[in-house]
Amino acid sequence: MSWIDSAIAMLPEHLLLAGIVILIAVDIAAPLRKQVSLLVSLLAVGFAAAAAVWLSSNGFAFAAFAGHYSVDPATLLAKAIVLALAVPVLLISRDDVGQGAFPVLLLSSLYGVCLLLSADSFLTLFLGLELMSLPVYALVLLAFRRPQSAEAALKYLVLGGTATATLLMGVSLLYGSSGSLALSTFASALGSPDTMANVAVVLVLVGFFLKAAIVPFHAWAPDAYEVAAVPVTAYMATIIKAGVLLAAVRLFGTAPVTRPMADLLAILPLVSIVWGNLAAMRQQSFRRMIAYSSIAHAGYLFYALLGEGPGRFQAVAFYVLVYGLMNLLAFAALPQNPDDTARDRMDNLKGLFHRDPFAALMIGIAMLSLAGIPPFPGFVAKFLIFKNVIAAGFTLYAVLGLVGSYLGIYFYLRVIQYLFMSAEEPTAIQGSPGRLALGASLICLLAAILLAVFPGWVIDLL
Amino acid sequence: MTWPILSIVIFLPLVGAAFILALRGDDEAIRNNARWTALWTTLLTFFISIFLITGFDRGIPDFQFVENHYWLGGTIRYHLGVDGISLPFVILTTALMPVAILASFLAVSHRVKEYMIAFLVLETLMIGTFAALDIVLFYVFFEGGLIPMFLIIGIWGGKRRVYASFKFFLYTLLGSVLMLLAILAMYLHAGSTDITVLLTHGFPRDWQPWLFLAFLASFAVKLPMWPVHTWLPDAHVEAPTAGSVILAGVLLKMGTYGFMKLAFPLFPDATRLLAPIFGTLAVVSIIYGACLALVQTDIKKIIAYSSISHLGYVMLGLISLDLLGIQGAVMQMVSHGLVAGGLFLMVGMVYERCHTRDLAAYGGLAKLLPVYSVFFMVLTLAAIGLPTTSGFTGEFLVLLGAFRAAWPQYVQGAAYPLIVSASAVAGVVLGPLYMLWFAQRFLFGPAKAPHLPLVDLNLREKTILAAIVVAVFALGLFPEEPMRKTELAARQYQVLVAGLRTGLPVATLRQLPSSPPGSQTRPATPLASATTP
Repeated sequence: MSWIDSAIAMLPEHLLLAGIVILIAVDIAAPLRKQVSLLVSLLAVGFAAAAAVWLSSNGFAFAAFAGHYSVDPATLLAKAIVLALAVPVLLISRDDVGQGAFPVLLLSSLYGVCLLLSADSFLTLFLGLELMSLPVYALVLLAFRRPQSAEAALKYLVLGGTATATLLMGVSLLYGSSGSLALSTFASALGSPDTMANVAVVLVLVGFFLKAAIVPFHAWAPDAYEVAAVPVTAYMATIIKAGVLLAAVRLFGTAPVTRPMADLLAILPLVSIVWGNLAAMRQQSFRRMIAYSSIAHAGYLFYALLGEGPGRFQAVAFYVLVYGLMNLLAFAALPQNPDDTARDRMDNLKGLFHRDPFAALMIGIAMLSLAGIPPFPGFVAKFLIFKNVIAAGFTLYAVLGLVGSYLGIYFYLRVIQYLFMSAEEPTAIQGSPGRLALGASLICLLAAILLAVFPGWVIDLL
Repeated sequence: MTWPILSIVIFLPLVGAAFILALRGDDEAIRNNARWTALWTTLLTFFISIFLITGFDRGIPDFQFVENHYWLGGTIRYHLGVDGISLPFVILTTALMPVAILASFLAVSHRVKEYMIAFLVLETLMIGTFAALDIVLFYVFFEGGLIPMFLIIGIWGGKRRVYASFKFFLYTLLGSVLMLLAILAMYLHAGSTDITVLLTHGFPRDWQPWLFLAFLASFAVKLPMWPVHTWLPDAHVEAPTAGSVILAGVLLKMGTYGFMKLAFPLFPDATRLLAPIFGTLAVVSIIYGACLALVQTDIKKIIAYSSISHLGYVMLGLISLDLLGIQGAVMQMVSHGLVAGGLFLMVGMVYERCHTRDLAAYGGLAKLLPVYSVFFMVLTLAAIGLPTTSGFTGEFLVLLGAFRAAWPQYVQGAAYPLIVSASAVAGVVLGPLYMLWFAQRFLFGPAKAPHLPLVDLNLREKTILAAIVVAVFALGLFPEEPMRKTELAARQYQVLVAGLRTGLPVATLRQLPSSPPGSQTRPATPLASATTP
């Protein structure tokens, strides 16, 4: 019964869609209370994630729309990771985002991510990518708290549109040279001597670089991250990045990357690592710092594509999971305040250890893990990526990348210094995270501990 | 079923830390409970670690108390075990921790709970470093130890604590990043991360110098060796007393231990190639550290620089590849842990009373603090290496080993090793010079102190110091038993590094007394064997 299989294959998407429909329908009938809409969206995302895990563990594989959309256990697991990361995002959104539109937009964007991760053709890929991005443009504007919000959202929109245009240009060239829209044309164009195919590959790559904020296509990220509400920033930093990178892994498949394409794939991420880490040192706004840190992390993630084919998915999936959890942990533990600009100041973190030791500890763990210092799971994530890069023979890039990652240590430690070693800032705001945010940070913390103590079991699942 | 003693010893402090974390109540009660819980946890850990000594079979050259479980996937496993070289370090750690906790009972009064947690976590990571038999696991413990120490210096340190803690962290981490690269390269070449497998793998000779340099970058900073020592005085001066004790007593040993357990035996060809440079750096460290200790006016800095000097001996002993030299190096490491740890404690005790570390402010403490002065003098003499103390055993054996190794080469025409060994003797002269001069200005002469009247040592302080002094004399008077425990491991180290495995031509043939069958060692000429490949 292929239509049942098709329905099951898209079960996570269907559940998300059901959530969206319920939210909109009920909202039209009677304006929903914040708690109820949050609960509905949490249930939808939670069930979708559970469905993805269940299907994946049963080894379910099916091409729902042959040549356009298919699922297999790895795809479903990737969806499960992304959906699971959305749970803490929703939990921390309660205090920041009041409007009813927020959960609908978020769920739509998640639907886009799921579609993106199952894409077999560039058509579906494009659909997913746009469905993922468009709600986020609105989300950045939604919590209009600062005059700069509009500017940042516009910047994001224009650059996002540029990314789409570049990607489409590349896709049309690929279509021109191969006569097919299948995703696999990209992998075969990677090693092709044909100039048109090469140009197409470069254009598609640039589109992905723009979406993932790789230097020099990163300018939108710090602005958008800074002015968006905290949950939206968290969403952009974790799930959008995870979606783009997991899609890139799907795009590359297991095709080997050879020079000179490998150099392009290595040099820009390398510059991102170095520049992201250097620029983060100077930031006075917490979210701007996270933005630059995420630019550096995008660099490590693209490094994973340099590695040997079979290990790519594992390395990227583990990395986005850890990286997402740690970012969410930090955002969940941030002290609350109605004044968004004040909340965002790094000075606010000064002496947090004396005001709220638990929050300080959470942010501290998140920073050290993002820095990749053992025994935190960020270390294992970096270890996997660099192991693959060296195994593929790109030793020089691995050396430079690791040295670049060393540059990042300083600004993560600076946060630790603010948290633990500075005297309390008299102007610091006094709020503490709400109960749901506390729950979110506990979820992230438990997951992080599991990943640190039993990394092998998780890696084997991937 | 046998008890996983190593795991228990490693993770018991973590359990104690979790316990402290859960403490609730009013501030004063939390403070007291945290102190006592930490003390009892470390003591219990120490007592359990005694089982490691009693259960250790010195007739087996292999690793003992081995545990091997699935951990990170692939060959990266949770693999633990100790041999005669790592055992002393595990014991040194578990023994120094109660001392450190006890020393901070009153010295630390703010954030006591978090302080104790940081120390207990640090203990877990330190013991793990010495017991790990998987190189990635080793790296995790080795690096992880930076975090609690960073916090201890940065939160509970002196005025320039933030600067010192950052310097400490960033310096040591830079080397470690390079080591991580080397570990990755080794993993891919050997297909394993198990240290026991890597030791017999035999890396290609053109790889070895690079891998070795990467390990050198990490361990030399940790050690610290001249010229990458500059973080040490800052860290010591700013760290709280107990932090200094652990820093000098255990953390620095991670560097020497790393050389001994990993860098030298893994890359024997590179070691022999670079041995002359290494010997030179060791001697420079000995003399440079001593000279700088001579001119310091901060009493904590004097001890800090003397550490650099003393660890130079350790390196000299390790690179000599002479059995006595190697065993002397191990002895010197343990001895330095006790003596420098004790001296830092004593500096801390006087600092708690007078709140200055300026040497010029003190004088004639022998009249003001008689009991204190006796203990201080004993430890000073041990630091100098007076016979009957552990300092003598270590230093003497190292020098003996260095000369035993250098002489045959001199006979064959290679004078350089002998010059290096002979220069090291300068340290024997400089050591007493700075330590005795320090003691003279500090303890004798006209009595003065910035904060009068002074109260002499209380029972708690006497107990700590008495325990250290007893250990110092025990190792000085009865070194045989510990030497026997380390002998087989030292021989194995010698065999691995001396290049018998790679079958290099051996210049001298020396029959070692009572070598057990199967390890008939024919050590290659150390130090200058690079000239006779």
